[in-house]
Amino acid sequence: MTRNGPFAFLFSALFVVFMTAPLVVVMGVSLTPEGFLEFPPSGLSLRWFRAILENPDFIDAAWISLYLGIASASLATVLAVPAALAIGRRRFAGRDFLLALFMSPLTVPTIVLGIAFLRFLSQFGLNGTFVGLTLCHAIFITPFILRLVLASVTGLDRTIEKAAESLGASDFTVFRRVTLPMIMPGVVGGWVLAFITSFDELTVTVFIVNPSTTTLPVRLFAHITQTTDPLVASISTVVILFTVGLMFLIERLYGLDRLLVGGEGR
Amino acid sequence: MAFLELTGLTKRFGEVTAVEDFDLTVERGEFVSLLGPSGCGKTTTLQMIAGFEQPTAGSITLEGRDLVAVKARNRGIGIVFQSYALFPHMTVAQNVAFGLEMRKVAPAERQRRVEQALALVHLEALAGRYPRAMSGGQRQRVALARALVIEPEILLLDEPLSNLDAKLREEMQLELRGIQQRMGVTTILVTHDQTEAMALSDRVAVMHRGRLVQVADPLQAYENPLTDFVSSFLGKTNRLEGRVLERQSGGCRVAVGETTFEAPPPPDEAAAGGGRVIVSIRPEKVEFRPAGAGLVEGRAAARIFLGDHWLYQVETPLGVLLVIRQNAGPAEVETGGSVGLAWDPAQVRLLPYEAQA
Ligand SMILES: Nc1ncnc2c1ncn2[C@@H]1O[C@H](COP(=O)(O)OP(=O)(O)OP(=O)(O)O)[C@@H](O)[C@H]1O
Ligand SMILES: [Mg+2]
Repeated sequence: MTRNGPFAFLFSALFVVFMTAPLVVVMGVSLTPEGFLEFPPSGLSLRWFRAILENPDFIDAAWISLYLGIASASLATVLAVPAALAIGRRRFAGRDFLLALFMSPLTVPTIVLGIAFLRFLSQFGLNGTFVGLTLCHAIFITPFILRLVLASVTGLDRTIEKAAESLGASDFTVFRRVTLPMIMPGVVGGWVLAFITSFDELTVTVFIVNPSTTTLPVRLFAHITQTTDPLVASISTVVILFTVGLMFLIERLYGLDRLLVGGEGR
Repeated sequence: MAFLELTGLTKRFGEVTAVEDFDLTVERGEFVSLLGPSGCGKTTTLQMIAGFEQPTAGSITLEGRDLVAVKARNRGIGIVFQSYALFPHMTVAQNVAFGLEMRKVAPAERQRRVEQALALVHLEALAGRYPRAMSGGQRQRVALARALVIEPEILLLDEPLSNLDAKLREEMQLELRGIQQRMGVTTILVTHDQTEAMALSDRVAVMHRGRLVQVADPLQAYENPLTDFVSSFLGKTNRLEGRVLERQSGGCRVAVGETTFEAPPPPDEAAAGGGRVIVSIRPEKVEFRPAGAGLVEGRAAARIFLGDHWLYQVETPLGVLLVIRQNAGPAEVETGGSVGLAWDPAQVRLLPYEAQA
């Protein structure tokens, strides 16, 4: 703390409090024994966590969100990695246009995007289907992955790939054994960011779900428009814990990642 | 038939001509250095041999086979880059094994050859380390082992030692030369460090603005440079602009300003230029005489002690001349003292006139 002055410390502390306060409130509310939202809770009870189990439509919605997140993040990664390699290291006509195109979901208002997706999916009879949702989410989250992968591609030393090539590696082998492992931090980070973005996406998704493909955020949104019981708080708490756990897991896996990839050549 | 033959090799990047009409033959087992200032096209030449740049014109043949049409990965060439270019996510052993894996060498044989290569560069103990946990010199050795383990036809080194500190560089130079001779691998080294080129190579190829100026063994290039550029680039020299006064049997008389002295015969180009020549006298060829007894007279303006030798700056009518003397006992001349300078006329070099670069 000697290098950072007291103001810097105060700023950091306020920032942390500001960021975590809503989460703490939600988690506090979820522990209430009462039937309404109160904070601080008047007692401690797991009543509203048990209530989750009695609402299978929330659990179904959570499974759909999970599958959707995994499918769309993976699809977007498969698109974004080659795109980042092309955009990040080649000069070709239309390069800027391509980048702007991939990044456009960030600039178009989400509500406009939702309506556009709705029209688009209806055209192909995919409205409300899981496939349709996956496609739309993949488009929506691609910019997040592209940015991270692009950052790691730009920092890549090309002579390392040349070295692999001169040792006899084909283009695909160079990609699989050298390029991909080196940009892996960006790819993994981008996948996680994309997954989380998909997992809690509401504005676009509301337009394109049907009752059989309702995602968790949409289900929660529908719930709070009707009642204000602490069930939303307990579900949110579970989601928060799940996200934190995911981050922790990725951290561990990512630490092991080098070893895993490096160990392959033995 | 020569082993590696570059003929009329030319590379243009749009308007820029990086390499022009480059001819060089390299014999099997030879160590050749490409030497020249920054931007003269050394790396571009190396990249064309390696297959990473396509020549605009000219040919590259290896034992008579055309190399230009062969993909980089099939050329069987080992490269060591200035930045080492190790695979950061692989251990030292995995780095070295990579080229053998690509060649589908059986695991047992692979292991044996990796160990052998690591022993060659004294890194057996670090086989399990990752490159990020190693020093610059150690990484350089890994890069060398990785290039050598595939038993390349040609070893290409692009300024491999320039990131090392002076002492380590000297050590690595000796080691590199030793390994190269033991393995007998044909080697081309790119460097802008003339001492490195002279210390390591059988022949140096001096480049200037994309062109090859002179190819010769280091002693020959140093003692008998063909041009002003080579003479100034290889080591220190006293460069003077002079005029040929008259030819004599076995030499000539030249004038630099008011001073005249004897020199070997002038280059053919001198006649066309009205007798204008560049006079080059190496500092270590200049000797001190008592004041009044030299070819020129001067005053020792400065004296720098460099361990095994002294470097003097002597003010003379010719300009400031550098003189290098061995440190064999006390200094011969004090700063500020008057002194005569002399040299053996046979050690003077007359070169075609060029305006100072
Ligand atoms: N890809 C390229 N596009 C355009 N010009 C290039 C390219 N590569 C090299 N050049 C130019 O060609 C010339 C020779 O470059 P090269 O890299 O071969 O020099 P070098 O002798 O290796 O120099 P250094 O000692 O600084 O590494 C330079 O003028 C450089 O700017
Ligand atoms: Mg270079």
